Amino acid sequence: MHPLRDKTAIIGVGASPQGKIPGSTALSLGVEAFKRALDDSGLKKEQIDGLLTMPGTTAPEAALNYLRLGETLGINPRYTGSKIMGGGTAGALLHEAALAVNAGMANYVACVFGDSAATGGSRFSRASGWGDSYAIWGFMAACANSAITASRHMALYGTTSRQLGEIAVACRKHASMNPNAVMRKPITIEDHQNSRWIVKPLHLLDCCLISDGGVCVIVTTAERAKDCKQPLVLISGMGQAYTTENMEREDWWYVPHQKLAVGDAYKMAGVGPRDIDVAQLYDNFTSSVLLWFEHGGFCKVGESGPFVEGGRIQLGGELPINTAGGNHSESYMEGWLHIVEGARQMRGECGVRQVEGAEVCLVTGRGQALNCSNATILRKG
Amino acid sequence: MTEYTKPLPTITDENREFWEGAKRGRLRMQKCGDCGHIRYPISHVCPKCLSYNFNWTDLSGRGEVFSYIVFHQLYNKAFEKDIPYNVALVQLEEGPRMYSNVVGVDNDAVKVGDKVEVTFDPVTPEVTIPRFKPRNG
Repeated sequence: MHPLRDKTAIIGVGASPQGKIPGSTALSLGVEAFKRALDDSGLKKEQIDGLLTMPGTTAPEAALNYLRLGETLGINPRYTGSKIMGGGTAGALLHEAALAVNAGMANYVACVFGDSAATGGSRFSRASGWGDSYAIWGFMAACANSAITASRHMALYGTTSRQLGEIAVACRKHASMNPNAVMRKPITIEDHQNSRWIVKPLHLLDCCLISDGGVCVIVTTAERAKDCKQPLVLISGMGQAYTTENMEREDWWYVPHQKLAVGDAYKMAGVGPRDIDVAQLYDNFTSSVLLWFEHGGFCKVGESGPFVEGGRIQLGGELPINTAGGNHSESYMEGWLHIVEGARQMRGECGVRQVEGAEVCLVTGRGQALNCSNATILRKG
Repeated sequence: MTEYTKPLPTITDENREFWEGAKRGRLRMQKCGDCGHIRYPISHVCPKCLSYNFNWTDLSGRGEVFSYIVFHQLYNKAFEKDIPYNVALVQLEEGPRMYSNVVGVDNDAVKVGDKVEVTFDPVTPEVTIPRFKPRNG
């Protein structure tokens, strides 16, 4: 058995108000999320001796965010740092926190993210390419990478835009059951089809939101967590993998690293796809979600299009995903809220959107130009 | 002639052969002097064997559309008049892949798997951009 299986716990989660928060900053939203998570955990601030952060797109201090936030919160940690992996950061920091508490480098690690992307004007329109920018050919923006994936998946496997729409519809349906979600009005497949093109084959409703908000997750060892306030939520498995080569790897578009990340998480936890009761799958664009089903072993290669049809991924279906609404409809917290919702589902506190009897949750993250991926298996303690 | 305002390469010692080649009507990439791997993007070191030895080599300019997308959203004002415009990820015959545009044909007429060949678009006196056009056979 893997020595880290079920050895770590999430003992506090918190999120600031989400959406458009005029007057907020990446820092102020991160602070508010930290205060709420601390309150949720029942810990005192003085007990937090680890601080791991993801700088928001509007945080001017960028990779020095851990210093800025530490000073603001008045925390002088034993273990700290910042990581920038876009939507791959939340999971990577959660895992780092797990390693740190199990190694005794810290006892209680707060992982914090804050961003004011909505009111701060982030457009996520940067072109990739380290030397000659691909913007020479007009290739730019986060959406383009996922459109490359969608286009080839459609060409190879016959996947349709309506099938992508199933994912947007499921996320929105679940957001409609979440009072904290930004976009709560249910949508139909026709609404998805009628929304304007962004980067074809992706429509507007294939795209996540751009949001202001902050999120914090507090981690300790499973042993210490037994004395904590909340129902026990264990980190049962963790996996990460990366494909840094966009052009040199022929299968980059298919994000093969996601399969490695989920596989490692399954292995550590001693579970497989049939054990997953609920999943929070990283959804910057709908096409990203499709590949999680294939790489997570829920369906075969190329079969994720038909897989998502017929309500299977909605609450009440066989594999409900993104039960709080995801990046698409809850708020674009770059996957941080996926961890929060995963923990809340394992606590059983989700009310009308609670997956009844859920004991195992898969949470995934994916960031940058499809490059970074991670997977976490949460288990009800 | 109106001024060209879209992004241009910064010509450096590292990429000069690529852009000078394009001006002469050649699609050129680096071939590793040790393992023979033809690489892209341009780099001073082979990502396969880490050798610093390489030669610039002429490619056939032939390839296939590996993936294909059409930009409707404007992300950079310089492309305002081009919208909607396409970007193809082109699989070149010799192995590398590169982003480019398929020109001389309607956006809707291009699909994944189509055969294409390079064509050269002189956009400024200094810079010629390799793009692709459909090819038969």
